[in-house]
Amino acid sequence: MLDIIKYIVNLLHEPTIAFTLLTVGFPFVFPPTDWFEKKHRQLRIDKLWSNTGGVVLMLLVVAYFVLGFTDKNAYIIFTKPDNVPIILMAFTVVYFLWLSMNQAYRNDEKLDRGEKPDEYNDPNDKILVWPDLVYSELISIILMTVFLILWSVYIKAPLEEPANPALTPNPSKAPWYFLGLQEMLVYFDPWIAGIMFPLLIIIGLSAIPYLDINLKSSGFYAFKSRRTAIFAFMYGWLVLWIYLIIVGTILRGPNWNFFGPYDYWDAHKVVSLTNVNLSEYVWVKAWNQGLPANPIKREFLGFILIFLYFAVPPFLLAKTKLKDIFKQLGPVRYAFLMFFTLSMLSLPIKMYLRWFLNLKYIVSIPEWFFNI
Amino acid sequence: MIDERYYKGNVLNKWFAISSILMFVSVILTFIDDNDDEFKEYQKEFRAMEVETSKTVLTEELEKVKLDRVAFEDKLLAAQEDYNNKNSLLVQAQKDSAKLNGKFYKANAEFLAFKGMFDQIKFEYEAEMLEHQHHDSGNENHKPHEFKNKKKYFDAIEKLQVLKLDKEEKENLKDSKIAEIKFLKSNLKKAQDELNKVLKKVNITQSKIEKLDRESMTFQNQIADIVRDLPIIDFLDPYYEVKQVVLEDIKYDNNFKYVPVVDRCTSCHLGVDKPGYEDAPQPYTTHPNLDLYITDASPHPFQEYGCTSCHAGRSRGTSFVSSAHTPQSKEQQAEWEEKYGWHYLPLWTEPMIPTKYTEASCFTCHQSQPILNEAEKLTTGLNLISSSGCNNCHLIQTYDNLGNNGPPLTHLEEKVDKEWAAKWINNPQSFRYNTWMPHFFNQENNSSPEMIKRTNAEIFAITDYLFEKDDKIEYNNSSEYLGDYDKGEELFNAVGCMGCHIIEEESVALGEVDTRYELPKSEYGYEPDPNGDGYEKATRYSLLKLQGPNLVGLGSKTDAEWVYNWIKDPTAYWPETQMPNLRLTDQEAKDITAYLLSFKNEEFEKIEAINYDKEETENIAKRWLVKAFPEYQAAQMLEDMSEKETIDYVAKKSISFYGCYTCHNVKGFEDAKPIGAELTHQGSKSYHKLDFGHIHDISHSNYGWYEQKLANPRIFDRDKIVEPEDKSRMPNFYFKPEEIEAITTAILGFTNRQFGENKITYNLAEDKTQFEGHKLIYANNCQGCHVHDEFGGQIVDAIGSQDYAPPNLNTQGIKTQPDWLFKFFNNPNTIRPHLQVRMPSFNFTDSQWNSIISAFQSLENHNLDFENDLLVDKNTVHFKAGDKLHEFGACNNCHFYGTTFPNGEPQTWAPNLAMTKERLRPEWIIEWLRNPQAIMPGTKMPAPYLPDKDILSTPDAIETWGKDIVTLNGDKEMMLEGLKDYLYTIPGKLDITKEVKAYFSKNGYGFMKPEEEDEEDDDWDDDDW
Repeated sequence: MLDIIKYIVNLLHEPTIAFTLLTVGFPFVFPPTDWFEKKHRQLRIDKLWSNTGGVVLMLLVVAYFVLGFTDKNAYIIFTKPDNVPIILMAFTVVYFLWLSMNQAYRNDEKLDRGEKPDEYNDPNDKILVWPDLVYSELISIILMTVFLILWSVYIKAPLEEPANPALTPNPSKAPWYFLGLQEMLVYFDPWIAGIMFPLLIIIGLSAIPYLDINLKSSGFYAFKSRRTAIFAFMYGWLVLWIYLIIVGTILRGPNWNFFGPYDYWDAHKVVSLTNVNLSEYVWVKAWNQGLPANPIKREFLGFILIFLYFAVPPFLLAKTKLKDIFKQLGPVRYAFLMFFTLSMLSLPIKMYLRWFLNLKYIVSIPEWFFNI
Repeated sequence: MIDERYYKGNVLNKWFAISSILMFVSVILTFIDDNDDEFKEYQKEFRAMEVETSKTVLTEELEKVKLDRVAFEDKLLAAQEDYNNKNSLLVQAQKDSAKLNGKFYKANAEFLAFKGMFDQIKFEYEAEMLEHQHHDSGNENHKPHEFKNKKKYFDAIEKLQVLKLDKEEKENLKDSKIAEIKFLKSNLKKAQDELNKVLKKVNITQSKIEKLDRESMTFQNQIADIVRDLPIIDFLDPYYEVKQVVLEDIKYDNNFKYVPVVDRCTSCHLGVDKPGYEDAPQPYTTHPNLDLYITDASPHPFQEYGCTSCHAGRSRGTSFVSSAHTPQSKEQQAEWEEKYGWHYLPLWTEPMIPTKYTEASCFTCHQSQPILNEAEKLTTGLNLISSSGCNNCHLIQTYDNLGNNGPPLTHLEEKVDKEWAAKWINNPQSFRYNTWMPHFFNQENNSSPEMIKRTNAEIFAITDYLFEKDDKIEYNNSSEYLGDYDKGEELFNAVGCMGCHIIEEESVALGEVDTRYELPKSEYGYEPDPNGDGYEKATRYSLLKLQGPNLVGLGSKTDAEWVYNWIKDPTAYWPETQMPNLRLTDQEAKDITAYLLSFKNEEFEKIEAINYDKEETENIAKRWLVKAFPEYQAAQMLEDMSEKETIDYVAKKSISFYGCYTCHNVKGFEDAKPIGAELTHQGSKSYHKLDFGHIHDISHSNYGWYEQKLANPRIFDRDKIVEPEDKSRMPNFYFKPEEIEAITTAILGFTNRQFGENKITYNLAEDKTQFEGHKLIYANNCQGCHVHDEFGGQIVDAIGSQDYAPPNLNTQGIKTQPDWLFKFFNNPNTIRPHLQVRMPSFNFTDSQWNSIISAFQSLENHNLDFENDLLVDKNTVHFKAGDKLHEFGACNNCHFYGTTFPNGEPQTWAPNLAMTKERLRPEWIIEWLRNPQAIMPGTKMPAPYLPDKDILSTPDAIETWGKDIVTLNGDKEMMLEGLKDYLYTIPGKLDITKEVKAYFSKNGYGFMKPEEEDEEDDDWDDDDW
């Protein structure tokens, strides 16, 4: 029985399955449109954010780890001192997600009933600094310090010997907070995954206040009034960041091969990875020719596709679905919003292209160190 | 609005209280965690042990001095009483002394104060003089100047003198008073000193206990003892601390930078340098060999070598796990895991070497010396590597091949026939169970029916390639080459063959052995133990007799013509052979040939010959071709080959694949490179880089892999899909477990560790040629016959008695004149007339002989190549005395004087004394005559009787001893000097080989039969020169 559960869990962790399930299921959990909202209520997913739902969520997380601790292989991974923050992260992310959504839903209900949100009753022009704020902050600082001291005393820092080029750890992993980026390296050229995406993430996050000029529901948690924005953000945050960190930490073993949480990390596992560039698909597979020497000629389709990807959808959407938003934001804001959103979306798109078409690069010019 | 609060004040206070308490507790925890190091526990335990042992020592010491102590204590008591009686005198004297001291102090102070002033006046006067001189220079008619400081200065001199005298007077008074007091106390002090002398050890032990044992301390010291180890304060001078030594000359490769090793082992291994803890449990045990290691007097003092230079491990670790201990066995591993939470340190490349392999580390510094008496296992391992030819296939830069190759295969048809060769290649042990030739075939990865088909075709092709002519040779066993069997047997046993060869037909099974790795045993057995107890364990000594092959089955292998020619002159067939020439006469060679050919191996003869398999040969050829060429081209090439060419192609491919040419000379492979992985730094190889395949039960360490590889070289192919051309091909030598252990030790010695230049033995020796000499001695098995460097001489076991065995080479480096030794090596003549065993002629170059002489000399710290001849003045008293003494000694009972035969029987014959002047060094002769037993234990040579002064002063001394001896008046040195001088004047023929040979060819060596020896002769050593 346990074996079957473990088998199923392992299978569900397969990146293609897990990522697809998350992506497909995501709009049902954070419905961006009326239709999804309807299904969301029908399937009673909204109960997730109730108090019972919170307890269930936390129990699920606990169960996940408890089950892991009973397994020899998962135990090794979960108890590594490097991975303790990931486990803490799993709990805190779920808890705070629930907390914010719980409050958002409560406020939504109140607003629906025509009442004011919870925060409305707070004195909105002052904070009781002494003693309430300072004192409670002091207590929090002390408790946090106690926690950090105990952590450092009882779980030794995973320090290693001086780096030895003749003996490198396999897998070689970045610090946990970078593992999402490291996971992206599987799908993108290093300069994109390692430089461009991190920059875009920082710039994009800083740009949110300038792009989001919607004043509705500001100052308190609410979902309905800005569900599309929350959906998009949550997808980027939970699926494209947190999920990738978890994959990088728990599911990537020797040679960066994928292993289910209950799999043995066999360093000799062989996975066939024959990845093909788009240009090869076009010139060799489709047209039965050799690759042209001129890189521009060779990669012309890739360039066109990239151009079209960033140029066409914004136009079409501005005319159709996102007409209102375009009107609201104006062309500059709209262009930036579209650019960031499409960049974000390019990650899952590239992942699927890799999984299903073995597509290596859309544009591949290794002679210029330029690959997309 | 004071009441407006988010929280109730009391609740916050409570939370604050709780969090503060938690904070306090966690800070305490931090301190505890910071200070509960493992080594402190060990240090505490050892401290208690030390107190315990010291107390025992104290009791013992007290018991020893019990009687003396009472006597001296009584004396002290009496002195004390006497002293007490003089108390009033002393009190007065002390009062006076105090007063005088005060007076002296005052006078001294006045003197010193005025001295300061005087110096100032002196300076002022000098300054005035200088200024005056400066002004008046060049002025011819100046008046004598009045110096205003002149008077002042001379007055000051006077005053200073007065003050000085006053001070000295007071000082004198004071000192005499002190002396008076001292005198009053002197008896008491003397008594006290005497008692202290008796109680010296007791006091030392007592003070040690007072330092160690808190209960024996004074109250202040008890407090201090607690305080010094308190947290934070303990940076000053704690008792419990990390003990470390920094080894400047021993570096650790910290990747791109070598840093000195810091050894902290003694933080826990506290008794390692202290004798007396031999039976204490670890980590307190005393090092088992303090003469060689750790102590300052040893060649490897702790301050220079530390621990990890030999034992490896993570030297900076201060806990059991972090110092990379390595368990000796699975059981120990389980025990450690439970007790210490032990685990491998995956990123530390040099885990501790298990104690059974520690000798490996000797090689790091001693790599120029293949013979290390203190490292039996390492030396055996190196010997085995050389004998088995491991370094023919595997390059080991630090350990050259000593020339132990297999015979050349270039003119094989002279020696054996094709069928024999094929059967031999296929299964060498079926012919000779303990051959050095390893098994390439019938191993676990090539014994499936398809693989046997393939390997048979390969063997056929190889043999075909090696034999120029196809036809079977006619064995030539004509009487032209065959002599007398019995005489041959006698000669074989006596003349020296047994120094390197055995003839041992019976083999025994290995029996039950307990190894952690899988050990397939040879179906043909192993050498039997001479004491009849199972198989013979491989040791450095047992390998001496396996230098040459076990000469069984020759009758089934070759013919008389070949054997005869071979033993007459081995270099004719094999120019590089190590087989020396024993200068056999034709008849002797014939006799030995008859004896050797009598051994036949009928089992082997019955084995079926390997036949040609055309289809498989072509198949093999095709497979090889396809590896290098496209299929269509390969097919074409194969088609173009004639049958003979196909066979040759397969043969060449097979010879390169198996590396036959690395040990044997094979035509067409003169410049081919070795095929094995380089082993120069194999000992440093991490186990991550070794392919364990699917073998999980063995120790996952580099040595675990080497053990398994040596026991079963093909095992890592198990359960893998491997093409025949990619299969492991290291052959199986069927090593015994202790051989595997020894070879693994040697492999672990081949490291890339970086030790300082002045730690490498090679750099420390002045004369580097000695290393070449030691290597030659070792490679040519000189120790098979001779005891050299306290090891060897196994031929005695075959001859039966030390009396008739080759001489012990003890003191050889200072014994003979180098130029004589050099000549002797090139042309050995008879020295010990009664020996039948012969010094063979080796085919060495001059520089090789020189290096051997240099090796002998290095053992005696003597390195002069040329020395003056001793010129004897026959007119000295001591010469005449020597002449006389020699008469008394009756040297000619045993010794030859040129061609003059000794008076005694052949079994007591000793070297020709006429040779002395050419052969021996005068300094050595004196030491030899002084005490022959000290140089050659067990020798029959007696020390000459030298009369002493008392005997020479008896009235009839002149009559008995002669005038000259009496004149020397018992001066033994002069007598020895005289004897030596006399020996240098003995005339006669130097080389008496012919005369001796003639005698024995007439009378035979009958006296050598062991049963005819009488008891007394048994320990008679022939080493008297």
